Amino acid sequence: MRALSTLPLILGAACAAAVLGFAGPAAAAATASDPLTAADNEACLRCHASADADEMVDVDGEQESIGVDREVYESSRHGQLACTSCHIGFKPGVHTTEQTDGWVETAMIGACRDCHADIFQMYRSSFHGELVFGQSNGEAPVCADCHEAHNILPPDSAEFRAGIDDLCAECHEYELQTYLDSYHGKAFHLGEEKTAVCSDCHGGHKILPASDPESMVSEENLVATCAQCHPGANENFAGFLVHVDPQDPQSSLLVWVFYAAYIMLIAVVFTFGFVHSGLYIYRGFKDGLYKRKHHG
Amino acid sequence: MADGPEKKVRTRMEYRRFNVFHRWMHFLVFVSFTVLVFTGMPLKYKDTQWAQWSMDLFGGVTAAGVYHRIAAIVTVFYWTAEMVFMVVMVLRTRGKMRGRIPLMFNKKDLHDIVGMFAWFFGRGPKPQFDRYAYWEKFDYLSLVAGTVIIGVTGFMMWFPIKTTEVLPGIFLNVALVIHSNEALLAMGVIFIFVHFFSAHLKPESFPLDKVIFTGSLPVEHYMEERPLEYARRVREGTLGDVLVEKRITWKTYAADTLWWVITVFAGFLALLMTAFIIWSVFD
Repeated sequence: MRALSTLPLILGAACAAAVLGFAGPAAAAATASDPLTAADNEACLRCHASADADEMVDVDGEQESIGVDREVYESSRHGQLACTSCHIGFKPGVHTTEQTDGWVETAMIGACRDCHADIFQMYRSSFHGELVFGQSNGEAPVCADCHEAHNILPPDSAEFRAGIDDLCAECHEYELQTYLDSYHGKAFHLGEEKTAVCSDCHGGHKILPASDPESMVSEENLVATCAQCHPGANENFAGFLVHVDPQDPQSSLLVWVFYAAYIMLIAVVFTFGFVHSGLYIYRGFKDGLYKRKHHG
Repeated sequence: MADGPEKKVRTRMEYRRFNVFHRWMHFLVFVSFTVLVFTGMPLKYKDTQWAQWSMDLFGGVTAAGVYHRIAAIVTVFYWTAEMVFMVVMVLRTRGKMRGRIPLMFNKKDLHDIVGMFAWFFGRGPKPQFDRYAYWEKFDYLSLVAGTVIIGVTGFMMWFPIKTTEVLPGIFLNVALVIHSNEALLAMGVIFIFVHFFSAHLKPESFPLDKVIFTGSLPVEHYMEERPLEYARRVREGTLGDVLVEKRITWKTYAADTLWWVITVFAGFLALLMTAFIIWSVFD
């Protein structure tokens, strides 16, 4: 949340800069003949927003559409930016290999870094950033995986928050399920907007494992993280297990014991009730008790 | 339907089984329990479409939570009132009752359970009951005890900071597991196996036993249903305390219609929630 709360300010500043015709480093990277303002996007949208722009192209082995929804883009956070702010070096007409080479990385990471340098630094030092840029060469989300390319939403908007569960669950399915079984998750699932979502506790750009002291969910910081919404939170309070599966004894033995005991109690009571009621009704029919006149 | 003033008013001797206090208690339990079930169960079965319907009906999760808490306060109120009533009753009737508390389990209940199963299989006569049969005692005692369990865990989650000033955080996890499963247990007992069965489906009551609303029922019905209590009252000479001469007027019929409407409504809600939960289990 702390990381996220600074994002709108920075994005706002970036937008303001763009509107004023000062597109920052992106402008410097582009050549003088390139269209740089949103007004010039017409040249791009003529093809990419046309009805037959559902053509698929091969992007690093995956089929992606070249289509852009004009309305969605123009109402997005970056709607006033030139296409070439991110698609650096692209020119109208059929794009040459020279233009398209490596454009995915440029558009999805590089272009963002040019304006949002400090956020990029946070991301770079995060668990996700380290996977992407570090030695391990692992797979992790980059900017556009969470923020999308053409439909960038303010990160504190209800619409963006409502979709966070699916974003994180692409890799963290178990954590999503246990979250959804907690009160926060249940309320979130049923449409409550004022409840903690993944990023409220784990952060947005600087997500770190709990073992890292700088993490929002580390022993050192957890109480403060809870206290964002629960003033007066104490160490015991922070000991509440958000990601616990009551059906799994390895998750928390204590919780499982109560769960298992209740399931057995419910099974016994319901079975007895079912048999008792069933036999009572059976005997009632057999003895013709239902045919008699009862209470007025 | 209205009887003219000069016409002879029809009357009927009735046995007063429940007093005004009992009837009000039942009404409060009935209303608060229904609200608690419909605002709480959607959280337990959040993945189903009906959970969303129910939450939307109450105006969202937060609003449903407010209704849930109001119903919880009503529950605390009726539970406390019931306990005070019980203590006063026991103190006042100590001499007469000779230590016998009619809602407590006793040895006879064990014989009655065995006797009922024998009767189910046609191997004996139906046992005779005193004021409360064992399933009614179970119904009552499980509600009284269950309210403590579900109330304590509910208040723990309502005031998590206060709770964790005394207890480790994992007790909040345990509280949720207990609260949610105790709720399912209570709902099953009330809506399906004990309460609605004994008030509607068992042959003596089918299709509706109105006595908790009207307070009294025709003497001959009660003699048949609870012969032991009747005999005891005759023996102790206290039958006069509970006999009332009920005037049967158009108001009687109007009230009976109202009890029918309320009961059908409650029955509909109970069946609906039962169906919802069965739906979730097999979904």
